[in-house]
Amino acid sequence: MITILQWTTLAVCGLVALARVPSAVRGENRSLFGIFALMTLAILLSIEAPYVAIDQALGGINLANLLLRFVIFGAIFFLGIRVAKGFGATGTYRLITGRPGILVLLVLSALVIAVFFLMDTEGSSAGLSTVYAKDDRHMLLVEYYGAAGRAYPAFVGVALIPAMVKAIGSRLPVLVRVAALLLGVGGAAIGLSLLFPFIPPDWSAMRFVVNYTAVLCYIVGLALIWVAKVRRRKPLAGTASFTEK
Amino acid sequence: MTLPAKAFQRWLQGIAPDASTADVCRVSGIKRTTLAQQLVRGKVSVSTVVSISRAYNINPVAALAGFDSYSVLAGPPQPPTRCELVSQISTADLLRAALARPAMDPLGRRGAAPPPLSPVPHASSVKNWVDAIDDGEVRHRVSSATGIAPQNYSAQLTANRLSPELAVATSVAAGVGPASGLVATGLITEEEAGWAPGARQEALDSMSDGDLTALVGDRMQALGKVLRRQEQDQAQTEKIWENLG
Repeated sequence: MITILQWTTLAVCGLVALARVPSAVRGENRSLFGIFALMTLAILLSIEAPYVAIDQALGGINLANLLLRFVIFGAIFFLGIRVAKGFGATGTYRLITGRPGILVLLVLSALVIAVFFLMDTEGSSAGLSTVYAKDDRHMLLVEYYGAAGRAYPAFVGVALIPAMVKAIGSRLPVLVRVAALLLGVGGAAIGLSLLFPFIPPDWSAMRFVVNYTAVLCYIVGLALIWVAKVRRRKPLAGTASFTEK
Repeated sequence: MTLPAKAFQRWLQGIAPDASTADVCRVSGIKRTTLAQQLVRGKVSVSTVVSISRAYNINPVAALAGFDSYSVLAGPPQPPTRCELVSQISTADLLRAALARPAMDPLGRRGAAPPPLSPVPHASSVKNWVDAIDDGEVRHRVSSATGIAPQNYSAQLTANRLSPELAVATSVAAGVGPASGLVATGLITEEEAGWAPGARQEALDSMSDGDLTALVGDRMQALGKVLRRQEQDQAQTEKIWENLG
């Protein structure tokens, strides 16, 4: 079940990234192609088989996991900028790109790196499960490492929620409002992922569901905005009926 | 509200006893699948009855009056009030009429005679009609008579729409001719509702310079708001597409 979810998400994201190649070549919103490409790489690195293959190539000390963290940070940073700019959320934009946002990013990056090198990371496994199983100390460190890695996406995801809520209730095209709803749900899901340490171990499937809900919501949401743009009709043409509010 | 299929079949029997459903569709220009679906669901739309009536040279108001839920339409047509007539003149026509009045020119010159009035309904005909007949309590009475929530009623007016049922209920609540609302919503023509030809033009000509100019001012202000809102929405949408499309 979880495997199906993972590969489906990978396929969806990869397809969207591929579909954006022509427009990226034309020079339209290249960073959006970058976001999709980074997300595809991130999903690839969260699936056991490709993860192990890539990590073995990198020396088998789970450097691939560290890479994954920074791929996610990069994707979410650019995504946050684009979404905040597009939806006119100047406050959020300033929060992400201003001193506080950059500081949060730097501190969390330093934490992720520091905790990573505090561990004996021998033994490739997605989600660091072999490292987690080593002893109590490693168990704790992996939890901290994961929490630091989730904190930045959660920060950006939650920061975007108010602008999304505003957009849902606006008079924007329906597809754009649906997209805003998905982006909002995605942000909320990433925010929820901060609570993972408090989830009982036998509910671990919940983690996957929340993670992939977030990723899928973001991908589909962004793709919908694109679809809305492609399908756009001429503005104001055929506006036969309207009255003041 | 739709009409019960049984009553519709009975009515159709009365006006075209030998015609098959296919014949009726061909003559009235209704898609066969549309009518078939309405019959299967047991709910025939009011506009279907109007189209068929026209095809068989029957007054649609009289035809509708034969159905229980529209029995108030029976009887001789009640002439529209002057306010109603003026409300069914488009903003552009009102503006042109005002410009043609000598009072508008400091030198007292008469402007060029305006072209004939554009046909009903115009872009804000429903909203303007309800405003014209509203004594301040009409919306309240409509919502208690039909059970529609006031915000849903307002939403329909904002979109310049009103279901036939609500249009008739509004006429009744305001004490004006029961078919007036159907004219304002464009379901039937002025002539079918028994409005005298040229009645709108006469009502317009009988307005004083001051009344006409004030009305044009109100209408222009409302139109300005609508246009500005559309421009803002458009700008916001463009921004989203520029960043995320």
